[in-house]
This record gives sequence, C-alpha cells and structure tokens, in this order.
Amino acid sequence: MKEKEKLLVLLSQFEITYKKISKIIEILDEELNIDNFLKNKQIKELFDENLYENIKICATDARIKSYLKNLEESEIKLITKFSSEYPEKLACIPDAPFFLFCKGDISLLSQKAIAIVGSRVPSKYGMIVTDRFSETLAKSGIVIVSGLAYGVDSIAHRKALDVNGKTIAVLGSGFNNIYPSAHQDLANIIASKGLLISEYCPSMKATKYSFPQRNRIIAGLSDGVLITEASIKSGTIHTKDFALDYGKDVFAVPGNINSEKSELPNDIIKSGQGYAVTSPEDILEKVDFKVQNYKKVETVQLSIEEQTILNLLSDGDKDTDFLSKNCNFNVNILLSYLTTLEIRGIIKRLPGGFYSLA
Amino acid sequence: MLSKVKSLGLQGIDGFPVDVETDVSNGLPKFDIVGLGDTAIKESKERVRTAIKNSNYQYPISRITVNLAPADIKKEGSIYDLAIAISILATNEENRLGKDIMEYIYLGELSFEGKVKRVKGVLPLLISARNLGYKKFIIPSENAIEAGFIEGIEVYPVSDLSTCVEFLSGEKIIEKVNPSSFQSVISKHEYPLDFCNVKGQAGAKRALEIAAAGGHNLLMIGPPGSGKSMLAKCFPSILPDLTFEEALEVTKIHSISGELDLKSGIVSTRPFRSPHHTASTVSLTGGGNNSKPGEISLAHNGVLFLDELPEYTRHTIETLRQPLEDGIITVARANATIAYPANFTLIASMNPCPCGNYGSKDKECHCSPAQIHKYLSKLSGPIMDRIDIHVEVDNVTYSDLKSEKEEEKSCSIKERVDRAREIQLNRFKNSKNYCNAKMSVSQTKKYCTLDKMGEEILRNAFEKLKLSARAHDRLLRLARTIADLEGEENIKPQHIAEAIGYRSLDRKYWG
Repeated sequence: MKEKEKLLVLLSQFEITYKKISKIIEILDEELNIDNFLKNKQIKELFDENLYENIKICATDARIKSYLKNLEESEIKLITKFSSEYPEKLACIPDAPFFLFCKGDISLLSQKAIAIVGSRVPSKYGMIVTDRFSETLAKSGIVIVSGLAYGVDSIAHRKALDVNGKTIAVLGSGFNNIYPSAHQDLANIIASKGLLISEYCPSMKATKYSFPQRNRIIAGLSDGVLITEASIKSGTIHTKDFALDYGKDVFAVPGNINSEKSELPNDIIKSGQGYAVTSPEDILEKVDFKVQNYKKVETVQLSIEEQTILNLLSDGDKDTDFLSKNCNFNVNILLSYLTTLEIRGIIKRLPGGFYSLA
Repeated sequence: MLSKVKSLGLQGIDGFPVDVETDVSNGLPKFDIVGLGDTAIKESKERVRTAIKNSNYQYPISRITVNLAPADIKKEGSIYDLAIAISILATNEENRLGKDIMEYIYLGELSFEGKVKRVKGVLPLLISARNLGYKKFIIPSENAIEAGFIEGIEVYPVSDLSTCVEFLSGEKIIEKVNPSSFQSVISKHEYPLDFCNVKGQAGAKRALEIAAAGGHNLLMIGPPGSGKSMLAKCFPSILPDLTFEEALEVTKIHSISGELDLKSGIVSTRPFRSPHHTASTVSLTGGGNNSKPGEISLAHNGVLFLDELPEYTRHTIETLRQPLEDGIITVARANATIAYPANFTLIASMNPCPCGNYGSKDKECHCSPAQIHKYLSKLSGPIMDRIDIHVEVDNVTYSDLKSEKEEEKSCSIKERVDRAREIQLNRFKNSKNYCNAKMSVSQTKKYCTLDKMGEEILRNAFEKLKLSARAHDRLLRLARTIADLEGEENIKPQHIAEAIGYRSLDRKYWG
C-alpha cells in the first residue's frame, strides 16, 4: 500500500468532514504520509484533542491492518481516492470523494451506468415510467444507479433486480444506518446482487447535508442522469446540477404540465438543459450503448378475456370496479385473470387497486 | 325463626347456586345482609322492606339477618330481591309458605310497590342451573320469553310479590312459560342495509362474500368516503343464519350485559359491533371492576367492525391477537379469572395514508413516504397475519351512483354463502373447526392441495409479485373458500389466482 493511501485509510475510520481532509491534503501537499501528518503542528490544530489522540493511537501499521481486516469481515471493501481501483469516472470530478465504502460487486463501478432519480412520492405515471425505463435499461446491460430513497429510487433499484440487471445504490449514510430504515431489506439484496456504496464510514448517521453530497456521487458514477418525475423543489435538482457540472447527459421524461410532479423534467426540457426522452431506446442511442442480446418484442398468447382486459387498459390505468363493469364476465373470473396477467408481467398493479399495462 | 331459599349468582357467563338464609330473632329492629354483596345488594333491604309493606304483608319488626352463601364469592346486582323477600316472609307462619319454597329458584328485582322487575342474565343463569339439576324457577314475567328457549325446565313468571306468595301458598295457579320457537324468530328478521343499496364496488363485494363464506377476517383500504363503512354494515346480511346453539351462546352474553331485546327474548341475527376508535382496551376485551363481557364478546358469532383501524391505540389492537386465534378471551382480574367466548369475524377499514388519498384516482396525496410508512406500520405483523383478505376500495363516481343498473341483492349472495358453509360443515364434521379460515396447519395441508398449474401460479406469485412468505397458508385457505363458493372439490388455478389478488398489503409498493 502506498504511503498516502495508508493515511487516507487511517482517516477513514473517523467521522472527519470532507473539507478537513481536503485541508490536510493541501497542507501536506506532496509529502502525504502518516509521519508527516503526525508531525505537522498546523494539522494538529484542526482537530480537537480527543480525536487527535485517537488518531494517533490508531496510526500504527498493526492497527490499520486490523481495521482493514475488520472491514473485510463485514464484507466491506474500502477504496480510497489514491487506490488503483478508484473508478476513473469519479476521479475526474472536482470534488471526488476520498473514500468509497463498497459492499458487493465493485466491477460495476467501471461499467456503463445510467442514474434514475426523482420524486420520493411519484404519481402512478411516475411509477409506471420509472418501472419501464429501469426494466429496459437494466435488461440491456446498463447499470442502474440510484440513491435507495423512497419512490423513484427504490422502484428503479427493484425493477433492475427483478430483471436480473445490475444496480448501484449510493447511500447518504454509513452502512450501519441505512436510511430509510424500511429499505434495509432492499439494501441487503443490492449488496448481494449489485453494489452498495457510501463515502461515509459505517457508523455515520444520515444528515440533512449528506444527501445532496451523495447526489454528486450518483451523478459522477453515471454516464447520464434520467429524471422521471420530480417537483421543482425536489432534491433531485442537485443531481441534475451536478450532472450538468460534470458534463454528463441529462434525460427527462416529459409529463403532464398540470402535474406538480412533472415540473422538473418539463423545466429541463424547456430550458434545454437535457434531452426529452420518451422511450428507453432514446437513452441507449445517446449513450452509444450496444445492446447485448436483448429481445424487445416477446409474443404472448392471450385468451379472449385477457385481450378484453388489455383493451380496457389501453388508455390508462383503471380500477377493478371499472374493469368489472366494462367486461362481460364475472368479477371473480376478472380477478383471477388480473393476477395471472400480472404474474406474466403483462400488466402492473398500482396502489388503490388500479391496474395498468406494464 | 330461620328460613332458606335458593337463588343464582353470575360468574363470567356461568351461574352458580346461592343460598339465601334469613334469620329473624328478637332484638332491636335491624336488617343486615352478609355474603360479599355489592352496593345494589346492600340497598336491596330498603326495596325488600317497602315491597313487603306495600304488598300488604307483615314485615317483622325484629332483628333480621340475611346470608348469601357461599359467603366468599362476590355477588352483584338486584337479582336477589325476590329471594330475600320470600325468605323473610317464610319466617312468618301466617303467610303459610310451606316447605315447597325450597323447590324453586327465585330471580327478580323488587320495586317499592311490590312489582317484580326484569333482571340481567336470566338465560345463562337458567342454563347453568338446569345443567346442575335444578328444575323449577320463578322469574320476572318480563324475562319469560328469554327463558322459554330453554328446554327441560319449569319456569313460572311472576309480575308482583303477592302473586308469588299466593302461588307458593297454593292460593293461585300460575301458567308455566310456553316454550318459545326459535324458527319463528329467525324467519322474521330483517337487516336494515342490503348490498343492493351499494352501487358499484364489485371487487369489494366479492371479497366480502368470500369473507362471509369462509369466516375470513378482512381489511378494507380506501380513501375517505369510498363506502367502506357502508359495505361493512351490509356484511351481516349475507352471513349464514345463526343456529339455535349459536343463538343461545350469543344471547347468554347479551343477556349478561343487559342488551337483550325483551320482545324476541333471543338474539336471532348475527351481532354487528362497531366500537369507536376511542374505545378503551377493557371495553373491547371485557373485564373491569364488575366483570362484563367486552365488545369482542358481544360480537361473538358475528362481526366486529373496527373503522379506521390505525386510529385505535396499538395496545388495543394487539389485545385482539389471542381472541382472533382462539375464539375466546381470558380476562384475569384480582378477584376472578373469567373466560368469555369471542369468536368473531373481524372486518376492519383504514385509509391508505394519513391524508387518505394515496392511490386515489382523483385526489392527490400530500403525505411523505415516511408518514405513509409510519401510518401503515401501526398495524403489527402479528395482526396483519390474522387478516386474510385485503381489499382496496376507491371512490364511486357520480355516474355510478346514479346508474339504474340493478345490483345483486343480499339474499342471493347469502344463498351462495350458505352453500359454501354447508360444504365446510361437512368437511370439518369431526373436528372443532367449522370454517376454512380456522383450519389448522395439518388441515390446510390435507384439504388445500393444488394441482401443478396452481403450484406454478403460486410460486410465480411469490417470486414476481414479492408476496411475503407468511401469506402462503392464508392464500391456500382463501383459495379453498373460493373453490367452495363454486362448489368445486379441488382448488383450481383460477381460485388461487383470485386469492393472490387479495393480498395487496403484502406488496412492496406500500411505502
């Protein structure tokens, strides 16, 4: 391990702000190593006494080794900014994170990736759109990056996992404090089938500021950012701004101009900050991605009853009540067809007992 | 002079014999009642004295002591007035109350003018006494119809104290209570609300039909004003009729709480109880200082409707766990441990989120995901485990409301439910169970087998629809009921498919 890398590993154990670490690196300049770090008076003043003493105690080779071993035991891989494994895409952004705590398949970091972000409370339209884009992109082999939040984020992650695609979740907290806690199960699945990353040490709790910060990693890691639904006040706006700063493509799904939740994507399109996309293929084309053996059209066998249901759903989502009134068979038969169609992935069930075409 | 007569006391829903012993001796005039009586019993000396005087009998001006034996069990209420009055009168030989008085059991409250007034709990008391071998009873005439439902006993209704005394001295003959006919009561009943009054809501109606057929607990989720309460109130009208044995059980409980309709004398329709969400835990479970059955016991063999389920305190909801599983609630208090039957179908309703509009077609929800999550998490896993059917209900449109289309009447839905229940009664002939919802694990294994295609659907459902594992057995039982409704012996793929549609809260799209 390089000396300067060792220093970062040492510092990663403590909850030290990004700013402070930048300062340390600035002070030490070329001579980045633990010895210089400990000798420097100016650095000592940056820390309060207790913390500094703690760092001092931990600054032995044996301690660092056992720390890395501990991380390994909890299946966490630590990649520092000076490591050879540090993803190139992140390295070239100005405020690249010093540490990446990773759980899962780190090879995903270097693959073609699209971030799908948006409202935490999407409308039915947002849910359907997110689902559809995430499915096609993940099936094509693109890594779906998002932030494990409620709403669009979790829909994107879940759909990618559903179709056996790859997904990266970037956390705004340490691994031991998954936020929201309701997504602990989702986080576990992503850790085993995709990749979970965080720039914060595992014990760190989420703060108001950590989420906008993690958005820069989402933008940095991806080759394009897709915004399906978000209001103008949404935190998604940070992800968009970062993406534009870093020169990444921004894609927006146009929405109803009356809907508060389509404000941001519509605004992006209006101001020319990003591309309007109406199908996942639009994105694939823009990021110049060669689709790997992905069959778009699957032929399905449908009975007359199933065809009737699909016809009724063709102009938007409908509830059971509407369907039962407009089809000529009994409600029990209708319900059993709805379930089988849903299992076959032809239709989708939405909150409130609504169904829509998948 | 000493005299002794018999009466009955109530513990839980069972009666126990009480000896009322009276001693009249010389001394300063005084009237004492011993034997752990409550205030109503302490006050009964005033009623008894005045009633005797106003019925033109001689009230002994001596020292009177009444003992209610067994002396170590608490006794409550005004039920002993008549027995005390008779035993006092029996000490005076002028009244010519022969030895016959020991043959009867006396129940009744006295008014000042000497009338015998109705008391609570006559039916359970008489049934217990009959089982202990007692045959003859003298009860208030207001309670006569209620008592008429019990076979194998002689019941003499009296309306005032003097009639009772004249009857006992042989001066007057009282007609025995005629046996009441359960059939005539049950054929008369009507439900105020019928499913034909509910427009639209086909999915919810179907779900309620299944719940009625298999005794499944059901949860309705929908925005305010979508008709959840209305649907629930219609629910009793499609439930199978009470059998006589069931009706007796229900009547016992209602008799104890004094909620019995005196005209019919028996509860002939399935009870529908809807306690408000501010209800205290004790009012739901029963118990308290003077042990009383709670709402869940009053809903025995009927429906307990909890509107706005998450609004109940968590503690209150959690207390439903044991009764939902065992059909009985055991209330332990310092002075007694009492088991009340509580075998009810739980129908609950709730909004999908605090503002109520999550997932609604025409209104926007303004709740944050965390709020929605918190709201839904008020229902603990164990409670959700006991609710088989989740059904989403949405607002009915104006055109639906005004539509002329004939909706199906409750009575025709009930016919299907009755048929399905019959199949279940045959199936569970030799076990304690009587409906699909209460099947044990081994019964589920035995009666709920799927064919290959059904298995395939169920497996796919778990994988693709992200159902939680605990839904598995519930789905099988639900599919069994759906098959029974169609008179099918085996569960077909469409039955399991329909059942899967009723597990929406297991889905991950909530929060």
